[in-house]
Amino acid sequence: MAKPKVASDWLAGCAGCHMSFLDMDERIIELTKLVDLRATPITDLKEPDEDGVTVGILEGGISNSYNEEVALRMRERSKILIALGDCAVFGGVPAMRNFVGADEALKRAYIESESTDESGKIPDDPELSTTQHVRPVSDVVKVDVFLPGCAPSADAIFYVLSELAQGRMPETNQLTNDWH
Amino acid sequence: MINLTVNEKPIELPDGGTVLDAIHLAGFNVPTLCHHPKLTPYGSCRLCLVEIEGARTLMPSCTVPAAEGMKVHTDTEKTKSARSFILSMLFSERNHFCMYCQATDGDCDLQTAAYDEGINHWTITPAYKPFYVDTSHPDFILDNNRCILCRRCVRICSELVGNNTLGLEHRGSASILIADNGIPLGESSCISCGNCVEICPTGALYDRRSMYQGRETDLTHTETVCMDCSLGCTRVIKTRDNRLVRIDSKFDDLFLGGLLCEKGRYAPVKEVRQRIEKPLIRRNGELQPIAWDSALACIATQLKAYGGDEISAYISGRLPMDTLQGFKSFFEDGFNINRVGLFGHDESAAVSIELAKEFGAFESTLDALEDADAAVVLGADLTTDHQVAGFMIKRKSREHFSLVEVSRDENKLGQNFIRRLIRVGDDYDEIIDLLICYKANGACPDAEQIIQEQGLTAHRANLLLDSLPDWQKPVFIIGKDYAKLSNLESLRKTIRFAQEIGAKVIILKGDTNSFAAPLLGIELNPEFKAATVAIYAMADGHACGHALEALKKSEFKIVHSAYFNEFTDAADLVLPCKTWAEIEGYYLSTDGRLQFHNKALVAAEGQHSIYDVLNFMAERTGFSLKQDWQTVLPQKVSGIIKA
Repeated sequence: MAKPKVASDWLAGCAGCHMSFLDMDERIIELTKLVDLRATPITDLKEPDEDGVTVGILEGGISNSYNEEVALRMRERSKILIALGDCAVFGGVPAMRNFVGADEALKRAYIESESTDESGKIPDDPELSTTQHVRPVSDVVKVDVFLPGCAPSADAIFYVLSELAQGRMPETNQLTNDWH
Repeated sequence: MINLTVNEKPIELPDGGTVLDAIHLAGFNVPTLCHHPKLTPYGSCRLCLVEIEGARTLMPSCTVPAAEGMKVHTDTEKTKSARSFILSMLFSERNHFCMYCQATDGDCDLQTAAYDEGINHWTITPAYKPFYVDTSHPDFILDNNRCILCRRCVRICSELVGNNTLGLEHRGSASILIADNGIPLGESSCISCGNCVEICPTGALYDRRSMYQGRETDLTHTETVCMDCSLGCTRVIKTRDNRLVRIDSKFDDLFLGGLLCEKGRYAPVKEVRQRIEKPLIRRNGELQPIAWDSALACIATQLKAYGGDEISAYISGRLPMDTLQGFKSFFEDGFNINRVGLFGHDESAAVSIELAKEFGAFESTLDALEDADAAVVLGADLTTDHQVAGFMIKRKSREHFSLVEVSRDENKLGQNFIRRLIRVGDDYDEIIDLLICYKANGACPDAEQIIQEQGLTAHRANLLLDSLPDWQKPVFIIGKDYAKLSNLESLRKTIRFAQEIGAKVIILKGDTNSFAAPLLGIELNPEFKAATVAIYAMADGHACGHALEALKKSEFKIVHSAYFNEFTDAADLVLPCKTWAEIEGYYLSTDGRLQFHNKALVAAEGQHSIYDVLNFMAERTGFSLKQDWQTVLPQKVSGIIKA
């Protein structure tokens, strides 16, 4: 039987959860004996397989229309979707923006910042995504496995992926439930 | 006794217990957030809901009284789903982002409760409504975004500290914690005791100076005795890599209820004085480093050249027993120095010893304050000194309590009492005579005139005097402004009256070890006199202007201090000293409790304590320090304080 396929992507996150994933060090070799690691932001393939993957992983919350598209696509192409890290699970640090609102945040960043002169302008190119209220992944798509943490430990990520690789849903326990 | 079952297990609970008490007695547990064993149950968080057979709905076990025949179930489908629901409601109400809170990962009861229920995401999205962050207070921050409205802080501020600063404004989800009538904490009636910060279960109230410096489990905890007055409260010194991080209380301490005041909690972390690192000698007007050996040789020379009246030796009252006795024996027995005294002008310990000669063991221990129903406070300002004793009185304003206070300056100790007679000044006799007269006759001709001087609240003074016959457990607290040797006649009259009405007497005796000093023969309230050689063993303490003048007029000035100060500025020989945290030893509290203080920090090499130096000098001079206080002291104490 073919190894289950795993794909990941990052949204409004700092990539720290992917770094934590890599912190499993040599265990990644063990893991890749059990799974077929496909598209990730740090491997060559960039989009999850069109014919679908078994496990999709999303790091980061949803802060704009592009994040939303990526999340919807990952959900569509994954049998099991993991929300990886506090940003994906709760909204995380980017969700701090919600206290002032996207408009205020854009104004502060592009017009009122200390290094902006009169030519400061909020980018409005139609090709750009629209800035939104920051949401956890589960507010946009159904999530099957929540792995909170900032970042979740490499041990927790290894546990979750190796359980899924062996056909079991991972437990929520002291290892996997550490919000930081 | 009440008979009931918890999870089918039959138990017998003493009358007055709650269902939560029953659950604990049966050996089970339910999660709680707003509950605290030292505070009256409140029932705001609802996390402790349990099933009681026959009840209309789930019941909060912390507030429901246990009843005969109850059948309680703590872990059913209903209770488990209720807990998850309650927690998700709590999380959604405000902004509980863990990743940038300093309480995360072990120090937040809300987070831990969520972990225990296996909650790993929020089922209800928060409203993202920002709440006010109050950063106006110099010692701590209030972040309303993290508050769960458990009211533990409100309750400790009113029920245990008696200051009634914190409260709630508005209702429902608009409820918000406020200080006084809605002013910034830093401008409020807050007395910076920090007890609210310690009892907050989340990261809503947190300490400024220690935030983000480690979880509780990252810090080394050392239980010690507070150095900042003679009450001897327990405090826990929290350090990390030999650095002082924070001072907390020991809440389950039976004695004095595990509270701390501003001095005990914050004085050490606010220390800004510069530490002395090496011995220094003054050459050509400037202090220059000198080796310890040379410094000690210098002292030995001075001691051998002079004696008797030509040398004066003064020591701080913030030092342990071995040091005080060692100092006394070395200078008095060893070198026949007549002037061995304690810094400070607090005569209260001397007064206590004097009164014990007539009355025997007349004083009581501090726990007399716990169930007192009346207090007569004379010559003590319990809002600045011995504050925890003040808390024990202030919080009684919620009960039927009578307060008489004569204090040198106006203070807020009695502001909430209905029955109170407050007098600012030193008219102790006028008030005592009034009480004696009222007790004997039920009235007094001078009463009206004295009462009128209380001004607007004169009617409360009448209520106080009328309550006199009902006093069951009165306590007299006497402080340094009244406890002077020049007031002995008046004090005797007061003690006699106290004994007549069955009142307990407590005399508050100044500094950490001020009580022990005279018991070891060290003179209190010395008149600081200049000498040929002056030895000032200050350690980390302070001394007054009189002491400084006397030092400046002395010919050879030796100062042993942890910090640079005006005394080291004037000194000829300066020795670096360990601080209170870097030494261990025994201290005698004002009510005779002998307590061991543990070392919490390691001093740098070359900083020696006063006891270390006494030992070096003793070795050099062939003298051995007397250390028999363990056998001598208990007897003396029991002659003054009733067991």
